[in-house]
Amino acid sequence: MTKPSDVITASEGEVFDVELEVNILKENQRLASENKERLHALGVEAIDVMGSVGSGKTSLIKAVISRLKKKHRFAVIEGDVTTTIDADLIASEGVPTVQVNTGKECHLDANLIKKALDKVALDKLDLIFIENVGNLICPAEFPLGADKRLVVISVTEGPYMVLKHPMMFLGASVVAVNKVDLAEAMGVKPEKLMDDIAKLNPRARAVPTSCKTGLGVDEVIRQLGIG
Amino acid sequence: MHEFTITTYLVEALLDLVKQKGSKQVLEVHLKVGKLRALSVEQVKFSYGILSKGTVLEGSNLIVEEANGTIHCTTCNYREEFNPEDPLLFHYGLPRLDCPNCGNPLSIEGGDECTITKVRMTLPSDAEGTVEAQ
Repeated sequence: MTKPSDVITASEGEVFDVELEVNILKENQRLASENKERLHALGVEAIDVMGSVGSGKTSLIKAVISRLKKKHRFAVIEGDVTTTIDADLIASEGVPTVQVNTGKECHLDANLIKKALDKVALDKLDLIFIENVGNLICPAEFPLGADKRLVVISVTEGPYMVLKHPMMFLGASVVAVNKVDLAEAMGVKPEKLMDDIAKLNPRARAVPTSCKTGLGVDEVIRQLGIG
Repeated sequence: MHEFTITTYLVEALLDLVKQKGSKQVLEVHLKVGKLRALSVEQVKFSYGILSKGTVLEGSNLIVEEANGTIHCTTCNYREEFNPEDPLLFHYGLPRLDCPNCGNPLSIEGGDECTITKVRMTLPSDAEGTVEAQ
């Protein structure tokens, strides 16, 4: 958009108002688009996995890969503040992993993903999971270039967690409501969380899951369209 | 916490602009932030104070304008500016986005801005006082 404006000639040291429209997030968005194009050119689909600390993101990725690894070629980018614990867990499924340690940052960004993609043999892949740093706020602000967003929440986060963190669900394609095997002990109704998700984002598909029992993992695969 | 990162982007964009315009001092910066951006204005301002130190931005006044989004019902075409902090319209924030007219789900337009809209700065004598919008 170009704004109509007069051309002013200023003297040295004079003060002027410069009107403009610069989106300061556009650099991350540009890099995210580059990542997406790079993956699409090689026919690789990317899924950004977000959710709170301990909601079961890694366990769900592991469960999905375990079911599909004979059908698709996977890689996983693991984002954490520190340690390689998650990458090591996923590597036990025999798929290539890249650990990204953000140090102080509470989210992954498109530039970190660009660097991580350099470390993966993209031409030998069908699907990449990008596990974001466990956090319900910041990652929603930084698109990475993924095709779909899988949000993983759990009943252990309490009955109001969807209502209290609406931003995370607005861009979600699929939401796994995990640890439903603990719902009774927690006194939390998974249906209530599913209902909150449906009202907040009618386009998101909510699936009750338990990575412990395997419940719902096939449905997550179906809803992600990667079966 | 991501406010510090985003303020880093802000400072980089401003320093680019200052270099491009040949300015020696920036006095005032206007930033438009959508209310759906999950950005704490106080934290952005605090980070700006730290990040602008030792640059031509130091001491400049960061003015943040918050912008509402628009709700749009694709079923009945209802459209209205909305404030995600309005408790009467959206209990607890924005978790219930039903159309107030027909009850169908709403989509949201805008409210996600993060844009520098105006910078007050000194300019050298041969400068043009405006830049083309990007």
